Amino acid sequence: MQIIEAGAVNKDYWKNLWKRRELLYFLARRDLIVRYKQTFVGVAWVVIRPFLTMVVFTVIFGSLANMDSKGLPYAFVVFAGVLPWYVFASTLSVSSDCLLANTGMLTKVYFPRLIFPATIFIVSMVDFLISFLLIIAMMAWYHITPSWQIIFFPFFILMASAFALGMGMIAATLNVKYRDFQQLIPFILQMGIYLSPVGYLNQIVPRKWEIIYSLNPMAGIINGFRWTLAPDVIEPYWPGVYLAVFISISALLLGIKIFRAAENTFADTI
Amino acid sequence: MSYAIKIENLSKKYIIRHGASSGSLKELVEHYKRKFGTKISSAVLNKKVDPFEVTLEEFWALKDISLEIQKGAKLGVMGRNGAGKSTLLKILSHITEPTHGKISINGSISSLLEVGTGFHPELSGRENVFLNGAILGMKRSEIQRKFDEIVDFSEIEQFIDTPVKRYSSGMHVRLAFSVASHLEPDILILDEVLSVGDVLFQKKSLKKMESISKGGSTVVFVNHGVDAIKNFCNQAIVLEKGKMVLNTTDINHAIEVYTGEPYAPAVTA
Repeated sequence: MQIIEAGAVNKDYWKNLWKRRELLYFLARRDLIVRYKQTFVGVAWVVIRPFLTMVVFTVIFGSLANMDSKGLPYAFVVFAGVLPWYVFASTLSVSSDCLLANTGMLTKVYFPRLIFPATIFIVSMVDFLISFLLIIAMMAWYHITPSWQIIFFPFFILMASAFALGMGMIAATLNVKYRDFQQLIPFILQMGIYLSPVGYLNQIVPRKWEIIYSLNPMAGIINGFRWTLAPDVIEPYWPGVYLAVFISISALLLGIKIFRAAENTFADTI
Repeated sequence: MSYAIKIENLSKKYIIRHGASSGSLKELVEHYKRKFGTKISSAVLNKKVDPFEVTLEEFWALKDISLEIQKGAKLGVMGRNGAGKSTLLKILSHITEPTHGKISINGSISSLLEVGTGFHPELSGRENVFLNGAILGMKRSEIQRKFDEIVDFSEIEQFIDTPVKRYSSGMHVRLAFSVASHLEPDILILDEVLSVGDVLFQKKSLKKMESISKGGSTVVFVNHGVDAIKNFCNQAIVLEKGKMVLNTTDINHAIEVYTGEPYAPAVTA
């Protein structure tokens, strides 16, 4: 027996979401197939974009600005920053658009709408794993031997995802009513790549500013991710890492809450 | 509990904004700026109200509908454009929330408000069958089992691995309808979807629907063509401006109320 009523919060929401997990699989599959079907380079695009970003940043920050890399190859330092950044950036930009991009489905079929951000999460993890192979190759090339700390790298990638999904869901919800956020996100990402320690180590930030710098969770996340790959050289700034974890998880929970609160009205307001 | 769907005092209100067209943040800010501005200026200068002010108007798409649909019934919903048919189906489909009232649904429910929801032009027919099936709530194993039947019904075996963007619009809707017609819910909600494809395909579709409902499914059905309702339904309601003006099992009478003229069934070959 199913009851439809005004303001009735769907009690079985999470159960329904689990029931529709096959839809999640097919939507993720659709996104992956479509993206690579008509492009000449195909799957390689996942690697090409971070790779070229890495090359440009290595030249600018490493060769021209000659910034400190604590003895690590500069290309490796940058690439270890670019990977979590791309997880964050692509997740945020796609998820902030996930409702507008699926308007057709939103007004014609019901399923728990959290399937959209969940799909984006899965696709971004596939992308990440492909480019992670490249950093493994890079570590082999530069003879950087990983230690046991490498088991923690998924944790930091998940944090980057959580932060991006949380912000993305808030933006997607607001986008349904106010299209302004479509314009705002690319701008945030453009600025964010310089404000986050992507092209440099966050150790170059003066000590007294470090905690303020760490209000951007991507600082702690990238720092932590580099630490898992090269723990002998990179020491984590723990307060920053804790702050990043706290902010990311809060953002995710807040995002889910806002998304869910507005979910029943998406079809009416979009 | 012999009913499949019980609707009690169902109402749905929409708020229409006058003055703000797209509802952007800019317009919201402008609105408050103006509101604040006019408050001061009208107090000081005793000016008239700003003609561009955003005003809100309530619109009741559905008003106080009560209805019981028995298990196995085929309910035809008739009404002119804007009578509230689609709103009713959207509420039943869980897409939008009612403002007041309550609906109790007894059994699994599938709704088909559009054929081919979520079809992606870049994907092959085969991929789209699976995707669309999943969107409509079918299990993967179920789609696999019925796959041949679906393709067979759509009459496009030859092109099943061609991207859907290369399909003619007729092929597109045939494939989409085939997927949908292989749903097996207890309750099926249909909005104007039987009028796809050519005449022969439409006949085939209707036959398929009949065989589904013979299996005991309850069907709620919106169609502008009265003949399909006449052939298929055993209960009908007529909506007018959000109110239910008739609920009857006499389909001919319902069609007369809806069209406003005596009903003479079209001669079919």
